[in-house]
Amino acid sequence: MILRVLATLLAHYRRHPGQLAMLLLGLWVASALWSSVQAVNATAKDSYARANALFSANLDELSRRDGQPLTREDYLRLRREGFPVSPILEGTLEIDGERLTIVGIEPLTLPSSNTLGASGAALTAFITPPWQTRLAPDTLDLLGLSRQQAPGMTPAVDSAGDRAGDSAEDRAGDSIEDSGQRLPPLALRTDLPPNTLVMDIAAAALLLDRDNTLSQLVTAPGALSTAPEGYRLTRAATLASPEQLTESFHLNLTALALLSLVVGLFIVQAALGLAMEQRLTTLRTLRALGVPAATLVMAILLELLVFGVLGAALGLASGIWLAGQLLPDVATTLSSLYQADVNRSLVLPWHYWVGSLAITFGGLLLAGSGVLWRAARLNVLALGQSQAWRLAYQRQLNRMTLGAAAVAVLALGLVLWLSLLPPGQGVLISFGFVAALLLSSALCLPPLINGVLHLLQRWLRRHPLAHWAVADIQLQLPRLSLAMMALLIALATNLGVSSMVGGFRLTFLDWLDQRLAAPLYVNASPSTLAPMLDWLDARPDVAETLPTARGSVDLLAMDDAQEQGTRKRIALFGITPAPTITDRWPLLDTTEGRPTAWAALSANSVFINEQMAVAQQLVPGDAVTLDTPQGARPFEIAAVYPDYGNPRQQILVPTEVLIQRFGGEVASIGLVVNDRADRQALRQAMTDRFDVSTEAMVDQQEIKRLATQIFERTFTITRALNGLTLGVAALALLATLLAQARERRRQLASLWALGVPRKTLTFLPLFQLGGLALFTGVVAIPLGIAITWTLVAIINVAAFGWRLPLYLFPWDILITLITALGVALAAAALPSIQLWRTSPQAMLNQGAT
Amino acid sequence: MLVLHQVHKTFSTPQGTLPVLNGINLTLQQGDSLALMGESGSGKSTLLHLAAGLDLPSDGEICIDGHALSSLDEPARARLRRQSLGLVFQQFHLVPSLSVIDNLRLQARLADREDAEWTAHLMARLGLSGREAYYPEQLSGGQQQRLAIGRALAARPRLLLADEPTGNLDEQSADTVLGLLLDLVKETRCALLMVTHSARVAAPLDRLVHLHLGRLEDNAS
Repeated sequence: MILRVLATLLAHYRRHPGQLAMLLLGLWVASALWSSVQAVNATAKDSYARANALFSANLDELSRRDGQPLTREDYLRLRREGFPVSPILEGTLEIDGERLTIVGIEPLTLPSSNTLGASGAALTAFITPPWQTRLAPDTLDLLGLSRQQAPGMTPAVDSAGDRAGDSAEDRAGDSIEDSGQRLPPLALRTDLPPNTLVMDIAAAALLLDRDNTLSQLVTAPGALSTAPEGYRLTRAATLASPEQLTESFHLNLTALALLSLVVGLFIVQAALGLAMEQRLTTLRTLRALGVPAATLVMAILLELLVFGVLGAALGLASGIWLAGQLLPDVATTLSSLYQADVNRSLVLPWHYWVGSLAITFGGLLLAGSGVLWRAARLNVLALGQSQAWRLAYQRQLNRMTLGAAAVAVLALGLVLWLSLLPPGQGVLISFGFVAALLLSSALCLPPLINGVLHLLQRWLRRHPLAHWAVADIQLQLPRLSLAMMALLIALATNLGVSSMVGGFRLTFLDWLDQRLAAPLYVNASPSTLAPMLDWLDARPDVAETLPTARGSVDLLAMDDAQEQGTRKRIALFGITPAPTITDRWPLLDTTEGRPTAWAALSANSVFINEQMAVAQQLVPGDAVTLDTPQGARPFEIAAVYPDYGNPRQQILVPTEVLIQRFGGEVASIGLVVNDRADRQALRQAMTDRFDVSTEAMVDQQEIKRLATQIFERTFTITRALNGLTLGVAALALLATLLAQARERRRQLASLWALGVPRKTLTFLPLFQLGGLALFTGVVAIPLGIAITWTLVAIINVAAFGWRLPLYLFPWDILITLITALGVALAAAALPSIQLWRTSPQAMLNQGAT
Repeated sequence: MLVLHQVHKTFSTPQGTLPVLNGINLTLQQGDSLALMGESGSGKSTLLHLAAGLDLPSDGEICIDGHALSSLDEPARARLRRQSLGLVFQQFHLVPSLSVIDNLRLQARLADREDAEWTAHLMARLGLSGREAYYPEQLSGGQQQRLAIGRALAARPRLLLADEPTGNLDEQSADTVLGLLLDLVKETRCALLMVTHSARVAAPLDRLVHLHLGRLEDNAS
């Protein structure tokens, strides 16, 4: 019996294919956008997990207190003294134009908890010539090899790459010509990170041409209680993993995908509700004919299942395609923002498929719960009484108002909760607040529109056509309200996010201008830069040299946390506090103004970046205790500076102080040249004398261009998802209009018979829907501003550690209104064209009121 | 008032051209009432639609108040419809978004000829007083058709075209609606062209014509 009931129910869609299309469309877009973002997230998480499994974040690290690079002698000495340390050598190589990370390990000493430490039978092949190159199967694409042919192959190394971390001495005599080496035979390991080649340290040293220096000395977590004399110990727990650093980025993506899912489910609910309304008589007839309520509900559930399978299949296929399109941009963003290496081809674990199907079916069940509830409670005696919709809709509006009020109270509660949390915390609560704000406003919208239309009806009583138009749109409201709610959410989010991105762009570019004071920058190894600095200072065409330095230090304590005794590795950055820099360098907060802050920096104080200020809850005037090579020393914080794009906490000191007191190294030199200086000649002279490549000398404009490019890429996926969400809202509106187009044409035909010209009737729906969408756009403006505020003042601080000023762009607001109007007109155009092309006379013959 | 001269109407169908009306000649004067009868598919509704300017004849001429419909463009025909004609349909075609009173006033307002006294009088005559704020779906079938008749007469048209106005009603409601329709037609002195299946409904009207195979057979009473 259930199949016969199902066939009867499905017959409805044979007569109303538009409704079926609308239903599948909703499921498709909801599932596609969600599954695409989840595919991107799953791939990124897989890459992080494989990187973590290697060693980045799960081993303690040793570094030299004097700031000098680690060498083989360090390793041998420590081993002789009985310390269980293991050496790691890292660098990059270019093979077939692709950059690959080379990781050299010493498996016999590598802590056994590491996945590569215990390699069993293959150990001999790994540690003895011709050695072995271990790589993940997805790295083979970059080498142009297939999985079958790869094992045992020895691909040629084309060029020496940048061999990160090399000293000038290490690279002396190095050339592409003499690097005609081959990789050790390939062996596949699925648990390795993408774009990474792991081999014995001896093989890596040969390939990278680094026979003495080491990148790291690692030890098992907790194996050393204190650092050996002359070394600094950094606990694994204090190192942020790529997963931790990028958590907020992925959370943002998930939030946007959730938004698309909700908007898609709005379409599904609208389609199911419309089909239910039109099938009430059928359902009651079936009940009257002896179909039990449970069978009816089961048949509807089965129907939902059929739609779910179709929608999920379409959605997953499109989602994976979309993810493939978005992944390269996301990977570039993650690499430039967080130095997190993410696979550029999709990796979809089993839980991705299960999760995507569960979300599609769960969402469908949620959207269809109202239909199931109505079917279960169907009153058989109410056959033919489906006209009581007006009263029912009024009750629905009342429920919406109450629901909106309840969710608004929840949003208020979340804001109060946020205000009690320290700054920089509560990303999830912030997203919860945005969700509650959007839901509350969406629920408020239909009662609000209803009220406004009531008022308009009174006002327009003397203008019959306008009066009819308003009354008619009110009649359509029960079916249009879901689409309008979806449009409101999409518009508000669009405005919120675009204002945030626009504000960020302004702030970022301004900040970039202030930070990049020198017109030319030279990046090279510290051993090259040190003599270069003296040479440049002596040149008449160089007006000023502004060296920067890098290092790191353990933060031992803060003012209010002396007793905690925690250590945290913090990056140190050194600048030259010359007027060229101090006049422009942006500061967010100082104790007694900029001049005093700069004077204090030159006299044993430090600046901290905003990320550190937020994370450690520090303000100018506080003090921090740092573990310097001379022992623990307190430093007063003189200022907080903005440091956009840096995922890590940072302390700023003068370059000289960093090198002398913290063992730091020169990282780059900013050059201010005389007006009449020949820049090209200067570049050539540097190349000739110090053997630095032309890429090592970067123009300020080039840095700005690259930074702006990275910035734009960062928001590519945000913009794409935003646009798609808006597209989904437009589709929701179009689908709703198409689903009721036939009935609408009958209404308009009656007016035509009363003497309203056909042209007027064709344009009337455009005005009606345009007006409604414009009103929704107006409501979306304050909501969008509230979202911008939440993003810049709460979510950004919690997610990235920096706060942005709130910028409002009148053009963006205007665009929101134009978009609302455009979406409505685009959605209304097709039904209007259909109306224009259908004979009103035929429409009049179609049926009753 | 209404003149149809050698009116032909053919429809294109996938099977070829289908002639529906073949050389119809008909004249209706102010105050006349005429019943148009015929079997299903004989072209009654097509003729009514042509008379209302809802469609144009394939050949021949239709004049209302001396205006040849073929010489008018669509907006002009629409103006003529709202100023001079009243239409009553079997399926009522009320506007569900408007209340009873707003439905009644709709055409009069569209024609810019609203008369509050006449509207109140119509409401009373239609037996709908007290239900001004109701919506169409809250009325019975008979009440809805009475409202449709009232709407058609609210602008005091010169010609009322009714397409099976009692076809959807039971016998008692049909008698009530018909009696009201004829009373109001007399009261407004408009001409009436009514399409019907029922000889009983046609009987009280001044003239009766039969439409058979697209041609008129005059049975003047």
